[in-house]
Amino acid sequence: MVSKKKKSNKEPLTFQETILALQKYWSKQGCVILQPYDLEVGAGTFHPATTLRSLGAKPWKTAYVQPSRRPTDGRYADNPNRLQHYYQFQVLIKPSPSNIKKLFLNSISAIGINYNEHDIRFIEDDWESPTLGAAGLGWEVWCNGMEITQFTYFQQMAGIECKPISVEITYGLERLCMFIQNKKNVFDLIWNNDGISYKDVFYQSEKEFSAYNFEYANTDNLFKIFDMIEQEAKSLIEKKISLPAYDQCLKASHIFNILDARGVISVAQRAEYISKIRELTKAIGKLWLESQN
Amino acid sequence: MSEFFLELFSEEIPSKLQVNARKRLLEKLKNFFQENEISIKGNLNVFSTPNRLIVYIDKITKKISKKSQEIRGPNINASDKALEGFVRSNNTTKSKVFKKKTNKGEFYFFKIPSQKINTSDLLKENIPNILSKISWNKSMKWNDYNLYWGRPLKSILCVFDGKKLDFNFYHLKSSNTTFIDKETEEKTKSFSNFKSYNSYFKSLGILIDQEKRKSFISNELIKLSNKKKLKVKLKKEILEEVTNIVEKPKILLCEFDEKYLIIPREILIITMQNHQKYFPTFDKKENLTNNFFVVADTIDPKGFVKLGNERVVEARLSDAEFFWKRNKSQNLVKQVSKLKNINYFKGLGSYFDKVQRIRKLCGLISDEMLISKEKIEIASSICKVDLMSDLVGEFPELQGILGGYFAEAQGFDKEISNAVSEHYFPIGMDSITPKKPYSVALSISDKLDSLVGFFGIKLKPTSSKDPYALRRMAISLVRLIIENNKSFKLRDLINYSCMLYKEQGTEFDTKLLQKDLSEFILERLKNYLKEKQIRNDIIESSTNISNIDEILKVFKKSLALNKNIKKDFGQDVISIYKRSSNILFSEKQNSPDIIGSADPGLFKNDFEKNLYKRIHDIRKYFSSIGKSENYEESLKELSLAKNEVNEFFDNVVVNDVDPVIKKNRLELLKMLCKSFENYFNFSKIEA
Repeated sequence: MVSKKKKSNKEPLTFQETILALQKYWSKQGCVILQPYDLEVGAGTFHPATTLRSLGAKPWKTAYVQPSRRPTDGRYADNPNRLQHYYQFQVLIKPSPSNIKKLFLNSISAIGINYNEHDIRFIEDDWESPTLGAAGLGWEVWCNGMEITQFTYFQQMAGIECKPISVEITYGLERLCMFIQNKKNVFDLIWNNDGISYKDVFYQSEKEFSAYNFEYANTDNLFKIFDMIEQEAKSLIEKKISLPAYDQCLKASHIFNILDARGVISVAQRAEYISKIRELTKAIGKLWLESQN
Repeated sequence: MSEFFLELFSEEIPSKLQVNARKRLLEKLKNFFQENEISIKGNLNVFSTPNRLIVYIDKITKKISKKSQEIRGPNINASDKALEGFVRSNNTTKSKVFKKKTNKGEFYFFKIPSQKINTSDLLKENIPNILSKISWNKSMKWNDYNLYWGRPLKSILCVFDGKKLDFNFYHLKSSNTTFIDKETEEKTKSFSNFKSYNSYFKSLGILIDQEKRKSFISNELIKLSNKKKLKVKLKKEILEEVTNIVEKPKILLCEFDEKYLIIPREILIITMQNHQKYFPTFDKKENLTNNFFVVADTIDPKGFVKLGNERVVEARLSDAEFFWKRNKSQNLVKQVSKLKNINYFKGLGSYFDKVQRIRKLCGLISDEMLISKEKIEIASSICKVDLMSDLVGEFPELQGILGGYFAEAQGFDKEISNAVSEHYFPIGMDSITPKKPYSVALSISDKLDSLVGFFGIKLKPTSSKDPYALRRMAISLVRLIIENNKSFKLRDLINYSCMLYKEQGTEFDTKLLQKDLSEFILERLKNYLKEKQIRNDIIESSTNISNIDEILKVFKKSLALNKNIKKDFGQDVISIYKRSSNILFSEKQNSPDIIGSADPGLFKNDFEKNLYKRIHDIRKYFSSIGKSENYEESLKELSLAKNEVNEFFDNVVVNDVDPVIKKNRLELLKMLCKSFENYFNFSKIEA
């Protein structure tokens, strides 16, 4: 909640203002403001500006919004908190600066959360991504018991030890805005000051994509496509072009997620698919790192 | 005596890592003080908050004296280089080195004079080393530094006797200042002693000492709940964790909408306690209430913290309510066939296949347990359906329990819903064990089916790895039998289970499986007995059986002997048996074919006759008691042979000149031992 006294004459930020405010804030900190990656991904971490750029010695600072797709989380727009498509705001800084906590706390001030009036906590939450061959230590940041951000020091990416270490901050924009705007239902979020709500933008899409993910996705074809993409990735790796190969990896990963949502992947198969994607990512990470020298 | 005070300031270190770091730091320091003969008066304190790890010793000796010491160097015939090295490594000159003869030859020696060392110098030199020896269960790097720590370490404050101790630790330099604002790390303050440090933070409401914090939190929780006529359960692990993730605890009483109390209480409790670290409350009748406590890490003058936490719970509970309403009305029976889509394990079929097997096993058990076959078969059929529900997806730890709630909501018999609810229990050594017959039958069938399956496809645990938790499952099986005081024909059940797998097209080597699984279950039985503090020799003797149907008997016999072994009659049993069996053992080579049948016609005296009669009484006793054996009584019965045995040994020479008489007497002793072995073989029991 926004402090009522200080900002009594000021409405809480809209969804789009929140994004703009975060972009402005991190831009001031010297971050390269990027646009979302133009492929379906499960999280902002998958953007090559995070995965690949966190490898190697070159300093790097970036911030961007990333639409994220989690097919299994779809609820046909029936659930006030769950979406199969949502927005993350992602910050990555390498090497991790020593004042990163202060930078983070000031960033939430910039969107109207006065951290002195709330119970801000850093609760253990270590992170691992089997498909990316990645691991990190950090926290989920709680504001009055609500998780508003993930905070991670990458230790390993694409199976490679990170040196120097990057720090990643990931805000779940819908959650954060529900907190700022005091909404119980994500679809009630105020998108802009012209009367557009989150529902106006995404309601139909949540319904239709839930149906696609859970019911209509043609699994026979998707299995075939997965194999084709895997082949493509392998051949690109052989030709040593890391970025296009990484794109194939992202595509494979998304297809795997849809197959998973359709419930057609058994436990044993699951591990096998994950390891296929991880092997690709590892090879690509190595390639990319070599290309940096 | 001086004061020593060290503070390591970092970003928030998780609870378990704090506990470990405190422990390790204490160990390392103690060792260091001991090795260097530094004496301490008072306590060696290690405190922590999420951001601060603190060592405080109020009285430590200022100087320590080291006795003079002669150090042996190279042999006098060794090369000059060796001598130079020796001189260099001792930081001395050639003139101070002398020769001395020993029984191993003549050597160069150097004498370190006795000296007084400042403790502060020793600390300065060694603390970095001690700090780098703390082994974290999980640690990380940050920036471009090489240091591994629980979370980024930002500053080191180190003070001895009011003055700072200077040293370097990786990229950090110690000082007498620390950050006083953990959020932004902008303000620093210097401290010259712990007292001022402690009282400064106390004035900010921060409790440095975790024990004080813990008792503050629990006292406040009890006080506030009494005031509201509520009860809180202070679970040790939760209290510990909550204590370690706050520095200035403030307890807030919050509530959620009463309408959510219709959700199964386990969900409410897990949501509050495990996910949000709150303390749920209960009324006098142990019913969960809609009040809960939040341990915040800040004061809440504007009420934002309370409101925010209440909203989080509401959001989570409305999620759970949504799923609960949907799942409870999804017909369990109609969903059973959908279990075909969920693989149980590669080679062991789907969950549908598993449920069919469990159903038939339960059918067999139902005859033995005198329960309704129809009901237990229904319970078996629906017991895994909840795996497909949204709620078990959200709360996997509540599998079974939620199925029980669904069954209850859909009007199944209480016995059926209880059986579904409890069929995963017991889980290992510590959880509750089901006692209701339907629950017991379902739980045993489920576990036996899994054990047989995994042993069948040769995935039994290795000494270090047990990925499918089969040990836990077998322990649970043992507990179900013993704690329900009920024997099961496990061998028959295992055979039947193998047959059920075969019907589904998977054939196992039944004979081998029986053998392996029996041994495995017996091993778990031994562990169980160990947990129950039964003596090792008793465990080894009692579990020396081949028939696992006798688990319950083994347990009772062990328990009775363990309880009574120090009593007179217990001692008598052991000594009678041992005295006889020792003679048999020593005669084994001369008389190998003793089978335990004496001929009364060869008896020469009443002592033999009386012993013979006693043995008969014992045999009669064991054949008459059958299943209703009272094991303490049995031991007493055996001990009654004391008189006859003593008289026999006092008056009869076993080693008679006539080999026929001698053999007959050995036969008599063998008979005696055999009659005792109706209980078990006592030969390895230590008196």
